[in-house]
Amino acid sequence: MDLPDTIRRRLEDFSRNVFVDQSQSPTKERHTSSTHDRRVLASLPLQMSLFFNIWFFPLWWISAIVMLHLKYSALPDYYKFILMTILILMTVIEAIRLYLGYVGNLREKVAELAGFWLLSILLQLPQILFQLCNEAILVQPLERAIHIVLALFILTQAVAGFVALRDLVRHTESQFHLRQFD
Amino acid sequence: MSVISSLVPARFLTIIAHLVIVITIFWTREYNVKACLPLEFTQEQYNSEDLKLVVALSVTLGLFAIELAGFFSGVSMFNGSQGLLSTGAHASGSVALVFFLFEQWDCAVYWWILAFCSALPALMEILLLIAVFGLSKKPL
Repeated sequence: MDLPDTIRRRLEDFSRNVFVDQSQSPTKERHTSSTHDRRVLASLPLQMSLFFNIWFFPLWWISAIVMLHLKYSALPDYYKFILMTILILMTVIEAIRLYLGYVGNLREKVAELAGFWLLSILLQLPQILFQLCNEAILVQPLERAIHIVLALFILTQAVAGFVALRDLVRHTESQFHLRQFD
Repeated sequence: MSVISSLVPARFLTIIAHLVIVITIFWTREYNVKACLPLEFTQEQYNSEDLKLVVALSVTLGLFAIELAGFFSGVSMFNGSQGLLSTGAHASGSVALVFFLFEQWDCAVYWWILAFCSALPALMEILLLIAVFGLSKKPL
């Protein structure tokens, strides 16, 4: 399963704009590229975090569904709708995000890794913080525990993903910097 | 080795299950504290028993931190014996704590669960950490 071309190009442009310092001189890049081209760029902390997150995700999902079912009747109507939506969104986004991160890190692909990082920072982090910190949705002790674990995973992936993405983009830029002279 | 590759996620999941139940007990310890006290109790008695249970739970969290530090740093992640001990101890600890929670057991039982299911793997972890970082043995 591959990302569509338009999304891939947009993500690569975004990565280049955010992670590469355009004011660097070309001679410095040529020197670093020869010493770095045999280094493995897949990030170990990120891969470990993703691996354990994949194993943790089914347990989180079952616990979240059971707790929502148990407290459903005690919630006001608008929170019923909001929590159902958030649960469905988090499930779908988590599955996509973990696949993109796993493939992007292992095969050192910029577009997949950037997509994973953006999904984690922009979508999953606000949703998990909403579920953890909003007392009005009757946060239960079990929910507190599983959301704390998932929030720690997302935070470590945000940090490790940033470092991995920056190194990967800089490496691919130094490999292909001659392209800008075409 | 396929045995090792399924032991690592199993160990991780049992540690997380134990951790989740400990955090859950942290928030609902009221019933367990009341189970330790006589039928009529004063607020000071309640506070002192509550404090003891909070201390026990905090010690458990500290032992978790030690074990997870050893696990994620790679010192004991691929060590088969430590993995097996940890998986067994945390799995039985999770089951025991589920009973502790639902059956509203006495506070004194918690110290036994802590000793066998949290302190034992953490002790082995500390020995491994000393062996690897102090005596420079190979982690496996």
